[in-house]
Formats: sequence, structure tokens, C-alpha cells
Amino acid sequence: MSAEPAATRPAAVRAREFRRILAEMLKIDRVRGGLVVAADGLVITSSLPRTVAVEPFAALTATLGRELEVGADRLKRTPFQTALFSADDGTVFLGSSPVGFVVVLGDREVNVGLVQWALRKALATLEGTWGQPGRIPASPEAS
Amino acid sequence: MGLLRLLTRIWDAITSFTRPPNPATLFRRADLYRQGGRFEEAAELVAQGLRLAPNNGVGHLLSAYLHLAFRQIGPAKSEFQAVLALDPYHPRALLGLAKIALEERDLASCRPFLDKALQIYPDFPEAKALQDMVSSWTVTSPVSGQRLIQAGPPIQAEKLKPPAGGREFVLTQADGTLVFSQQGDKDAEDLAGHVTQVYRIASATLKRAGLGALRRGIVQAATETTFFRSNDRLILALSFPQDVKVGFGLLETDKLWTNSLRELGVRA
Repeated sequence: MSAEPAATRPAAVRAREFRRILAEMLKIDRVRGGLVVAADGLVITSSLPRTVAVEPFAALTATLGRELEVGADRLKRTPFQTALFSADDGTVFLGSSPVGFVVVLGDREVNVGLVQWALRKALATLEGTWGQPGRIPASPEAS
Repeated sequence: MGLLRLLTRIWDAITSFTRPPNPATLFRRADLYRQGGRFEEAAELVAQGLRLAPNNGVGHLLSAYLHLAFRQIGPAKSEFQAVLALDPYHPRALLGLAKIALEERDLASCRPFLDKALQIYPDFPEAKALQDMVSSWTVTSPVSGQRLIQAGPPIQAEKLKPPAGGREFVLTQADGTLVFSQQGDKDAEDLAGHVTQVYRIASATLKRAGLGALRRGIVQAATETTFFRSNDRLILALSFPQDVKVGFGLLETDKLWTNSLRELGVRA
């Protein structure tokens, strides 16, 4: 971690920050890929298995993220922070941030708690990059 | 001659610093900023470019994207419409309006935008992904109260009592039909609509990633955590206060799921 407060970092650092955040997520055991996608569906950075086409997957994850945001608003709930959806062969994790959505793909053996913790940490970093430092949980157990 | 060329170059270099950039340059730079997630700077450049060239389609498209990125749906819609006013078959503007219609749950408007985009550009991956997703959806207006997925005696509400701390329990069919809810009519309809929409989009996303059919979901917000459980026909959603232990939430959701299936006489 840099000693410099995230909020004071120049905006040019953002692109690098997205790549770094994604790279951190990809280090987690059983994580197969991930991406950062803006709310309009623009892929900011991605690393997905060859079998998953980036643009269609990004379009769907952005749509899912927006439904979670819009639905919460419609139901007068607080905005969603993280979400996960599991199937027989794996899990899709989604985190909401000012830039859009951080998406992580895990296989069926992925450590769900660990990914959720790492995702929250990534989101807090992203919020910091946007000028609102987020609260980072100290450990997966604390989250 | 050589000296003249050199002087011209020097003059051009000097004036390039003082000459205002043209709209094309501004939009190009804005797009680069946008791709790097630098939305505020991109928006500034786009606004500057559109002041110079108010009828520039690229500028309006970028403006629409940036409004979407800032979650400003009304202005984004107007900007996509401005693009279509200049080019009625612009695939990206059509896709943008389709996405907004989807957010507004206006399926009747969404489909024609996607169809039109794909009619002109059949190899448009994002539009194809969304069209594949919505093609199987039926337009159902959830009816309040209980509606059975099969003929049989009415559901006994006391047998589907959520656990302590559990709230906003709703059971819907995959087509959006409300089966059972714990809440009042209007709230239940809205909740069922949201739950169904999340189920549908999450299912399409998992399928696209080659992971199979949606079985479980957890959505965490600042004040509550919602658990989803589903098979190919039914979706259950149950919320707890945010500080609920995930293990407890999963366990209680599973219990309620089993009870619901038993009540409905359906196999898991």
C-alpha cells in the first residue's frame, strides 16, 4: 500500500489502480477471472478465461449491477455493496463502486468468504481513489 | 525553402499551444479518459466539444455514456436520442436505449431497440447477449396475494413463517408471477418484480460464464442482506438485518425453501 492518501492521488493513477485491483483478485485460489466494468458496459480492464467472451459478459454483469442498484432504489433500500450468485459450477461476485462494478468469477471450490473480503477491500480502495476513503475490513473473518 | 519550412513548423508548434483544440480532438481525448475511468475529465472535454459542435454524433454518444457512468439516466436517454436523431440506425445508441428500457422494466420498448441494432449489425456481441437474455422473458404483471404454480389447496401462511429477524420474504415463479409474500400487496409486487429481474439477469450471466443454472444468491447492502434460493421454476428471497451471519442466513433460507417446496408440492 502507498503511504500517500488515495484521495490525493492524481486521476491518471486510476487506470493502473483498476489493473492492480483486478490482479490482486486473480491471485486468489480458484478465481478464474474478473473485470472492471462501468455502469454503461464499458470494460475498463478484464482478465477472463478464453471460453468467456468479454463484451457480452460485461454487458450482462453491468445490467445485473444496474438492476441491483435501481431495484434497491425503487424499493427504498440502501444501495447494494456486494453480491454473489452461485451455480453448480461456480460463482459470480459483484461489487459496486463509483466507477461501476468489479466482477470476479470463481469456480465451484472457490473460497467465497475470502473473495468477498478481498472484494470489499478492493471496493474500499476504489472509493478512496474517487475521493471517499472506504472502510477496509481487517481480515476475511472480520467481514 | 528549407528555412521557410522550418519556420512554418516552429510557428505551428507555437500556435498549437494557444489554438483551441477542435471537437474531434476533444472527443478523442475524452474517450481516452473515459476508457481509463477518468469520467469527470472526459465529461468536461465532451461538454467543451459539444459547445463547438452541437450536432456531433460522437460527442452526444460519449455524453450519453458518461451520463450512464454517473447513473444519470434521464440525460443519458436524451443524449442517445440525440444520436439517433442524427443517425437513426446507430447501433451503440440503440443498445444504450435498450439498456435503459431494461432498467425501466419496459420490455416492450427494449426488444425493438435490440432487434433494430442486430438487424443492421448482426455481429454485435453486447446486443446479442441482451437479446438472447430477454428473448425468453414473458411479460407478466405480478398479481398480489397468492397464486399457485399448480392447482391445489391454498398455501398455509403459518407454515411459511420466516425465521426471527427475517423479513421481506417473497416467493415468485421464474416468469415473475408472485406465488407468496409476507408483505402488503404493492410492496410485494415491487419486490417480486425486482427478485425476478435479478434472477433472470443473474441466470443469464452465470450461463454466459458457463457455470450453470442459478441456485443461490446473496446481496449485501448497508442495512440488509438478502438471500436468494432458486431452481428452474421458483425463486425465494428473504432479507435479514445487515449484521446477520451468512451461515445463519443460508441455513434459514434453505429451511424456508424446503418448506415452501413442500407446501407447493414441488420437488427441489
